[in-house]
Amino acid sequence: MTETKAVVVACDIVTPYGWGIDSCWNGLLSKKTAIGRLNRFPTESFLAQNAAVVPGLTYGQDESIVIKMLKPLLQKNIYSIPEDAFLVLATTAGEIDKLERHVLNESADAASSRPDKLFEKISLLCGLSSPGIIVSAACASSSIAAAQAAGMIISNERDCVMVVACDSVSEFVFAGFSSLMALDKDMAKPFDRNRNGLSLGEASGFLLLMSESRALRENRPVIGEIAGWGLTNDANHMTGPSRDGSGLALAIHKALKSANVSEKDIGCFSAHGTGTIYNDSMEIKALRTVFGNHKVPVYSIKGGTGHTLGAAGLLEIIIAFESLNKKIVPPTVNLCNIDNEASGWVSSEPLTLDGSVTISTNSGFGGVNSAVVLKKY
Amino acid sequence: MIVIKGIGWITLTRYGSIIKKLQGNYNDLKSLHSHLQHESVLKYAIKNFGRFDAVSKMTCCSIAIALNDAGIIYSEHMKHDTGILGTNNDGCFESNLAYFKDYVSCGRTIARGNLFIYTLPSTPIAEAAIYFGCQGPLLYIKFQHNQIPSMLRYAGKMILRGETSKMIAVEANEKKAVCFVLGKQDSASTMKALSLEGVVDTIEKISDFDEMIRMLNN
Repeated sequence: MTETKAVVVACDIVTPYGWGIDSCWNGLLSKKTAIGRLNRFPTESFLAQNAAVVPGLTYGQDESIVIKMLKPLLQKNIYSIPEDAFLVLATTAGEIDKLERHVLNESADAASSRPDKLFEKISLLCGLSSPGIIVSAACASSSIAAAQAAGMIISNERDCVMVVACDSVSEFVFAGFSSLMALDKDMAKPFDRNRNGLSLGEASGFLLLMSESRALRENRPVIGEIAGWGLTNDANHMTGPSRDGSGLALAIHKALKSANVSEKDIGCFSAHGTGTIYNDSMEIKALRTVFGNHKVPVYSIKGGTGHTLGAAGLLEIIIAFESLNKKIVPPTVNLCNIDNEASGWVSSEPLTLDGSVTISTNSGFGGVNSAVVLKKY
Repeated sequence: MIVIKGIGWITLTRYGSIIKKLQGNYNDLKSLHSHLQHESVLKYAIKNFGRFDAVSKMTCCSIAIALNDAGIIYSEHMKHDTGILGTNNDGCFESNLAYFKDYVSCGRTIARGNLFIYTLPSTPIAEAAIYFGCQGPLLYIKFQHNQIPSMLRYAGKMILRGETSKMIAVEANEKKAVCFVLGKQDSASTMKALSLEGVVDTIEKISDFDEMIRMLNN
């Protein structure tokens, strides 16, 4: 019996670079950041005043920011989202701006911020009749959601799964990260010697996954394959990663085994790369554990897009597929002085990608780690 | 075949387990923590238990009871390949409100980090992973219908897909929690275990928590 493959047949995103995959890809290749001065709410008392937001979205009125991002993406008819697609929604805070408005001026119902309300709206926007689930696992939410979607397909439980991810820059989240001293006063500079924290960002997007056989039957263009994954937990600390990177290394080992590939097959590596001192250091240690002296090109997109929280994993999977299909390793934006630890791994310049397999990783609060193996189709 | 090796439950005043038939009463969660430690259900104190939100307290205590029910020994120094799947109806809605109201009452100038960390639905199970040393997959899933049977089926599938060797599946809110320890059937084990399908069949059509516990005890 042939093994079922989970393939991506459609995807789209909106990021602080603008609408669509091309705007994000071209933005990253331009080496210019989308992080800028935040004007959505007063930020003077916070650690930082910068974030990366989608241009043109009005905050604190009518619909939530995530719905403003998702509506134009999901209402396009060009993707032909099948009615029977199983919906997997990934988010950490969803429509949290509605809860803000309830507390600040009672202009919204607090309960309308609940993720199940968002799920219903998305299901309606997509025209889906099947059930679904909401997945939340901190900043690894959407990479874990994508892995679970692939798992449903590979195990022949489903043959079509729609993964939707979203999170926005809100006062709720911004104030919280500021209180944890996690924000860079300037801008996130992943793997830079002078990095000092993350910059928040927002994004929404979707991946439509199908079994290879259904994709072929429906003449769908295949963007790439989710070939394997590994999920672990550091079991160490609530807000900081395990300093030795052992939890992430274990996730990568599991992912390689699950995809039946070796570390030598990996052409490049999409890191979580938040720009915090401990995260980036931990990731390089994990890479050294897995790859030894075989240095693969590593990049982070968060110097460009900011940290898009629950949407980060999905956004990074889509950019990783772009990278595989265009055979280019994108540059790490805002990288000026490479940290000694990361020297030889990361680059501020785009590189030619040699290979057809990549790994995308995410880590988050509570010690959660995910590694997803992506293959060019 | 996937089996359930232990089940622990907590209401606002009572707690218990299904296989070892442990039962008891308690006054508040702080006293439950002390009581479970005294009974060696908790092997050592849960660090920072006092600052946990209510769902995290319920989650950790119910997992301790379930692991004790399953006869599984854990240690803070020995991490193991066990995943945790959490679910409930409301996510972290109450913690979200508490955090943001506190922030606004402080003049919107400074937020409390200790309240902020509980504004993720996955935080209660992450607190548990740290205490129990669970290094497997960790995720919160909200199912559309039949939370507990759906959660059990999902956790079983994660084991069958090879994502981990054991899963802890827990539904918890501020008022009640129930936790199940799932794993592959071990023919060499002398510990009693319940079939996953049998448990799911038993509780599938029961929406009342107390009734579910009664049925599981039978």
